[in-house]
Amino acid sequence: MADQLLPVLPVKYGSLRVGGMTFEQSPLAETVSLGAFSGDGRDALVNRIHEAFGVMLPEHPRAVHTMDGRCAFLWNGPSQWLAIAEDGAGLLSRLREVCEDVCALTSQSDSRAILKLSGPDSREAASRLVPIDLHPRAFGKDHVASTLAGHIPVIMWQTDDVPTYLFLVFRSLAASLFHDFSVVLNGFSSSEMDTCV
Amino acid sequence: MRLTCPFCGSRGLEEFTYRGDASVRRPAADASEQAWVDYVYLRDNPCGRHQELWYHGAGCRSWLVVTRDTRTHEIFDVRNARDVAVAERQTEAGKGENS
Ligand SMILES: [Zn+2]
Repeated sequence: MADQLLPVLPVKYGSLRVGGMTFEQSPLAETVSLGAFSGDGRDALVNRIHEAFGVMLPEHPRAVHTMDGRCAFLWNGPSQWLAIAEDGAGLLSRLREVCEDVCALTSQSDSRAILKLSGPDSREAASRLVPIDLHPRAFGKDHVASTLAGHIPVIMWQTDDVPTYLFLVFRSLAASLFHDFSVVLNGFSSSEMDTCV
Repeated sequence: MRLTCPFCGSRGLEEFTYRGDASVRRPAADASEQAWVDYVYLRDNPCGRHQELWYHGAGCRSWLVVTRDTRTHEIFDVRNARDVAVAERQTEAGKGENS
Protein backbone atom coordinates (compact mmCIF):
# COMPACT_ATOMS: atom_id res chain seq x y z
CA MET A 1 0.00 0.00 0.00
CA ALA A 2 1.24 3.47 -0.87
CA ASP A 3 2.33 5.63 2.01
CA GLN A 4 -0.12 8.33 2.89
CA LEU A 5 1.73 11.65 2.97
CA LEU A 6 0.27 14.29 5.20
CA PRO A 7 0.62 17.88 4.03
CA VAL A 8 3.38 19.76 5.83
CA LEU A 9 2.53 23.37 6.59
CA PRO A 10 4.89 25.73 4.76
CA VAL A 11 5.27 28.00 7.79
CA LYS A 12 6.20 26.32 11.05
CA TYR A 13 5.11 29.18 13.32
CA GLY A 14 1.61 29.71 14.62
CA SER A 15 0.36 33.24 14.80
CA LEU A 16 2.06 36.51 15.53
CA ARG A 17 0.20 39.15 17.55
CA VAL A 18 1.50 42.70 17.76
CA GLY A 19 -0.40 45.84 18.76
CA GLY A 20 -3.84 44.42 17.99
CA MET A 21 -2.75 42.94 14.68
CA THR A 22 -2.59 39.25 13.88
CA PHE A 23 -0.42 37.64 11.24
CA GLU A 24 -0.93 33.95 10.65
CA GLN A 25 -1.17 31.19 8.13
CA SER A 26 -4.67 30.58 6.80
CA PRO A 27 -5.99 27.02 6.65
CA LEU A 28 -5.01 25.13 3.51
CA ALA A 29 -7.38 25.86 0.64
CA GLU A 30 -8.14 24.37 -2.74
CA THR A 31 -6.98 26.66 -5.49
CA VAL A 32 -7.46 26.20 -9.23
CA SER A 33 -6.24 28.51 -11.98
CA LEU A 34 -8.50 29.11 -14.97
CA GLY A 35 -7.01 30.34 -18.24
CA ALA A 36 -9.57 30.87 -21.00
CA PHE A 37 -8.70 29.37 -24.39
CA SER A 38 -8.26 31.91 -27.18
CA GLY A 39 -11.09 32.62 -29.60
CA ASP A 40 -14.46 32.51 -27.88
CA GLY A 41 -13.12 30.57 -24.87
CA ARG A 42 -13.32 33.62 -22.66
CA ASP A 43 -17.00 34.37 -23.30
CA ALA A 44 -17.88 30.69 -23.02
CA LEU A 45 -16.03 30.42 -19.71
CA VAL A 46 -17.74 33.51 -18.28
CA ASN A 47 -21.13 32.04 -19.24
CA ARG A 48 -20.39 28.58 -17.86
CA ILE A 49 -19.19 29.93 -14.51
CA HIS A 50 -22.21 32.22 -14.36
CA GLU A 51 -24.57 29.30 -14.95
CA ALA A 52 -22.86 26.90 -12.54
CA PHE A 53 -21.73 29.24 -9.74
CA GLY A 54 -24.03 32.27 -10.17
CA VAL A 55 -21.19 34.82 -10.37
CA MET A 56 -19.71 36.92 -13.16
CA LEU A 57 -15.95 36.44 -13.45
CA PRO A 58 -14.45 39.88 -12.71
CA GLU A 59 -13.02 41.93 -15.61
CA HIS A 60 -10.81 43.93 -13.24
CA PRO A 61 -8.54 43.02 -10.30
CA ARG A 62 -11.39 42.04 -7.97
CA ALA A 63 -12.75 38.98 -6.21
CA VAL A 64 -16.35 37.69 -6.38
CA HIS A 65 -18.02 35.23 -4.02
CA THR A 66 -20.64 32.60 -4.72
CA MET A 67 -23.96 33.08 -2.89
CA ASP A 68 -23.21 30.30 -0.40
CA GLY A 69 -19.86 31.96 0.35
CA ARG A 70 -17.97 28.71 -0.19
CA CYS A 71 -16.07 29.65 -3.32
CA ALA A 72 -14.40 32.82 -4.59
CA PHE A 73 -13.04 33.77 -8.00
CA LEU A 74 -10.11 36.18 -8.21
CA TRP A 75 -9.01 38.09 -11.29
CA ASN A 76 -5.48 36.91 -12.04
CA GLY A 77 -4.48 38.58 -15.31
CA PRO A 78 -6.31 39.11 -18.61
CA SER A 79 -8.61 36.09 -19.26
CA GLN A 80 -7.18 34.36 -16.18
CA TRP A 81 -8.74 33.71 -12.79
CA LEU A 82 -8.09 31.81 -9.59
CA ALA A 83 -10.88 29.83 -7.95
CA ILE A 84 -10.51 29.28 -4.20
CA ALA A 85 -12.54 27.04 -1.92
CA GLU A 86 -11.98 25.41 1.43
CA ASP A 87 -9.91 22.25 1.60
CA GLY A 88 -11.91 19.15 0.64
CA ALA A 89 -14.47 21.04 -1.47
CA GLY A 90 -13.65 19.06 -4.63
CA LEU A 91 -13.22 22.29 -6.56
CA LEU A 92 -11.09 20.92 -9.40
CA SER A 93 -13.47 18.09 -10.29
CA ARG A 94 -16.44 20.47 -10.12
CA LEU A 95 -14.70 22.90 -12.48
CA ARG A 96 -13.73 20.07 -14.82
CA GLU A 97 -17.40 19.19 -15.21
CA VAL A 98 -18.36 22.81 -15.78
CA CYS A 99 -15.72 24.26 -18.08
CA GLU A 100 -12.91 21.84 -18.92
CA ASP A 101 -13.41 22.29 -22.69
CA VAL A 102 -13.17 26.09 -22.74
CA CYS A 103 -10.24 26.82 -20.43
CA ALA A 104 -7.06 25.40 -19.00
CA LEU A 105 -7.62 24.19 -15.42
CA THR A 106 -4.61 23.66 -13.18
CA SER A 107 -4.65 22.80 -9.52
CA GLN A 108 -2.62 25.36 -7.56
CA SER A 109 -3.52 24.00 -4.11
CA ASP A 110 0.02 22.78 -3.47
CA SER A 111 1.69 25.77 -5.11
CA ARG A 112 0.59 28.53 -2.81
CA ALA A 113 0.13 29.20 0.87
CA ILE A 114 -2.16 31.89 2.21
CA LEU A 115 -0.94 34.24 4.93
CA LYS A 116 -3.39 36.53 6.67
CA LEU A 117 -2.78 39.96 8.16
CA SER A 118 -5.62 41.48 10.15
CA GLY A 119 -6.16 44.29 12.65
CA PRO A 120 -6.51 48.05 12.86
CA ASP A 121 -2.98 49.01 11.72
CA SER A 122 -2.79 46.38 8.99
CA ARG A 123 -2.94 48.92 6.20
CA GLU A 124 0.09 50.75 7.51
CA ALA A 125 1.93 47.50 8.21
CA ALA A 126 1.24 46.11 4.74
CA SER A 127 2.32 49.39 3.17
CA ARG A 128 5.80 48.83 4.54
CA LEU A 129 6.24 45.83 2.23
CA VAL A 130 3.85 46.35 -0.66
CA PRO A 131 4.48 49.15 -3.19
CA ILE A 132 0.86 49.74 -4.25
CA ASP A 133 -1.59 52.34 -2.94
CA LEU A 134 -3.66 50.74 -0.16
CA HIS A 135 -5.64 53.85 0.74
CA PRO A 136 -9.36 52.94 0.91
CA ARG A 137 -10.12 55.16 -2.09
CA ALA A 138 -7.72 53.02 -4.18
CA PHE A 139 -7.91 49.57 -2.60
CA GLY A 140 -10.92 48.25 -0.68
CA LYS A 141 -12.84 45.11 0.15
CA ASP A 142 -12.46 42.40 -2.50
CA HIS A 143 -9.83 44.32 -4.39
CA VAL A 144 -7.03 42.07 -5.63
CA ALA A 145 -3.51 42.90 -6.78
CA SER A 146 -0.62 40.88 -8.12
CA THR A 147 2.47 42.66 -6.89
CA LEU A 148 5.63 42.34 -4.77
CA ALA A 149 5.86 42.20 -0.98
CA GLY A 150 9.48 43.17 -0.55
CA HIS A 151 10.99 40.99 -3.29
CA ILE A 152 8.41 38.24 -2.98
CA PRO A 153 5.65 37.93 -5.61
CA VAL A 154 2.22 37.86 -3.98
CA ILE A 155 -1.41 38.01 -4.89
CA MET A 156 -2.89 40.36 -2.33
CA TRP A 157 -6.60 40.29 -1.52
CA GLN A 158 -8.43 42.54 0.92
CA THR A 159 -11.29 40.54 2.40
CA ASP A 160 -12.89 43.03 4.82
CA ASP A 161 -12.69 46.60 6.09
CA VAL A 162 -10.86 45.82 9.38
CA PRO A 163 -8.79 45.62 7.17
CA THR A 164 -7.84 42.00 6.60
CA TYR A 165 -5.44 41.11 3.81
CA LEU A 166 -4.72 37.69 2.42
CA PHE A 167 -1.38 37.09 0.74
CA LEU A 168 -1.27 34.19 -1.68
CA VAL A 169 2.41 33.33 -1.85
CA PHE A 170 4.37 30.48 -3.38
CA ARG A 171 4.78 27.79 -0.71
CA SER A 172 8.56 27.85 -0.83
CA LEU A 173 8.58 31.61 -0.14
CA ALA A 174 5.92 31.59 2.57
CA ALA A 175 8.41 31.28 5.45
CA SER A 176 10.44 34.21 4.06
CA LEU A 177 7.32 36.36 3.76
CA PHE A 178 6.32 35.38 7.30
CA HIS A 179 9.75 36.49 8.50
CA ASP A 180 9.51 39.78 6.59
CA PHE A 181 6.16 40.51 8.21
CA SER A 182 7.48 39.61 11.64
CA VAL A 183 10.16 42.28 11.13
CA VAL A 184 7.54 44.78 9.93
CA LEU A 185 5.28 44.08 12.91
CA ASN A 186 8.14 44.40 15.37
CA GLY A 187 8.41 48.01 14.24
CA PHE A 188 5.02 48.66 15.77
CA SER A 189 4.54 49.39 19.45
CA SER A 190 4.62 46.15 21.34
CA SER A 191 2.83 45.27 24.52
CA GLU A 192 2.84 42.44 27.06
CA MET A 193 -0.10 40.98 25.17
CA ASP A 194 2.12 40.30 22.15
CA THR A 195 2.90 36.69 21.44
CA CYS A 196 4.63 34.54 18.91
CA VAL A 197 3.71 30.88 19.15
CA MET B 1 9.68 55.80 -13.32
CA ARG B 2 6.16 54.38 -13.14
CA LEU B 3 4.11 52.64 -15.82
CA THR B 4 0.32 52.51 -15.89
CA CYS B 5 -0.49 48.93 -16.79
CA PRO B 6 -3.82 48.80 -18.66
CA PHE B 7 -4.87 45.97 -16.33
CA CYS B 8 -3.19 46.64 -12.96
CA GLY B 9 -2.99 50.44 -12.86
CA SER B 10 0.02 52.57 -11.89
CA ARG B 11 2.97 50.46 -10.75
CA GLY B 12 6.63 51.02 -10.00
CA LEU B 13 9.45 50.06 -12.31
CA GLU B 14 10.52 47.14 -10.09
CA GLU B 15 7.50 45.15 -11.30
CA PHE B 16 8.48 45.38 -14.98
CA THR B 17 11.22 44.09 -17.26
CA TYR B 18 12.36 45.94 -20.38
CA ARG B 19 12.19 43.65 -23.40
CA GLY B 20 13.49 45.80 -26.24
CA ASP B 21 12.33 47.72 -29.29
CA ALA B 22 8.64 47.17 -30.05
CA SER B 23 8.82 48.46 -33.61
CA VAL B 24 10.94 45.70 -35.19
CA ARG B 25 8.99 43.17 -37.25
CA ARG B 26 10.01 39.68 -38.26
CA PRO B 27 10.97 39.61 -41.98
CA ALA B 28 9.44 37.12 -44.43
CA ALA B 29 11.12 33.71 -44.39
CA ASP B 30 12.69 34.36 -47.82
CA ALA B 31 13.86 37.91 -46.99
CA SER B 32 17.47 38.88 -47.65
CA GLU B 33 20.25 37.99 -45.24
CA GLN B 34 20.70 41.70 -44.53
CA ALA B 35 17.04 42.01 -43.49
CA TRP B 36 17.49 39.11 -41.05
CA VAL B 37 20.73 40.52 -39.63
CA ASP B 38 18.90 43.82 -39.09
CA TYR B 39 16.02 42.06 -37.37
CA VAL B 40 18.11 39.86 -35.12
CA TYR B 41 21.05 42.11 -34.21
CA LEU B 42 20.72 45.75 -35.16
CA ARG B 43 18.84 48.21 -33.00
CA ASP B 44 18.48 51.97 -33.17
CA ASN B 45 19.31 53.99 -30.11
CA PRO B 46 16.83 56.83 -30.51
CA CYS B 47 16.96 60.11 -28.62
CA GLY B 48 13.33 60.92 -27.90
CA ARG B 49 10.15 58.99 -28.50
CA HIS B 50 10.60 55.23 -28.57
CA GLN B 51 8.18 52.32 -28.76
CA GLU B 52 9.33 49.55 -26.49
CA LEU B 53 8.19 46.25 -25.02
CA TRP B 54 7.82 45.86 -21.27
CA TYR B 55 6.79 42.73 -19.41
CA HIS B 56 4.69 43.08 -16.26
CA GLY B 57 6.28 40.05 -14.63
CA ALA B 58 5.44 40.86 -11.02
CA GLY B 59 1.89 41.84 -11.90
CA CYS B 60 -0.52 40.46 -14.49
CA ARG B 61 2.26 38.94 -16.67
CA SER B 62 1.15 40.94 -19.72
CA TRP B 63 3.44 42.18 -22.47
CA LEU B 64 2.97 45.89 -23.01
CA VAL B 65 3.91 48.34 -25.77
CA VAL B 66 5.08 51.52 -24.08
CA THR B 67 5.75 54.81 -25.89
CA ARG B 68 8.40 56.60 -23.88
CA ASP B 69 10.72 59.57 -24.29
CA THR B 70 14.20 58.16 -23.76
CA ARG B 71 15.50 61.55 -22.57
CA THR B 72 12.83 62.51 -20.05
CA HIS B 73 11.20 59.12 -19.30
CA GLU B 74 7.86 60.76 -20.10
CA ILE B 75 5.34 58.01 -20.87
CA PHE B 76 2.92 58.83 -23.70
CA ASP B 77 1.08 55.55 -24.06
CA VAL B 78 0.90 52.04 -22.59
CA ARG B 79 -1.03 49.39 -24.52
CA ASN B 80 -1.52 45.67 -24.28
CA ALA B 81 0.95 44.17 -26.82
CA ARG B 82 -1.63 41.59 -27.83
CA ASP B 83 -4.12 44.31 -28.81
CA VAL B 84 -1.39 46.09 -30.80
CA ALA B 85 -0.53 42.88 -32.68
CA VAL B 86 -4.19 42.04 -33.37
CA ALA B 87 -4.90 45.58 -34.65
CA GLU B 88 -1.84 45.39 -36.91
CA ARG B 89 -2.90 42.03 -38.32
CA GLN B 90 -6.37 43.41 -39.08
CA THR B 91 -4.95 46.46 -40.87
CA GLU B 92 -2.72 44.21 -42.95
CA ALA B 93 -5.63 41.91 -43.81
CA GLY B 94 -7.67 45.02 -44.78
CA LYS B 95 -4.86 46.22 -47.08
CA GLY B 96 -4.67 42.81 -48.72
CA GLU B 97 -8.37 42.89 -49.57
CA ASN B 98 -8.20 46.36 -51.09
CA SER B 99 -5.25 45.73 -53.37
ZN1 LIG C 1 -0.28 44.44 -15.23
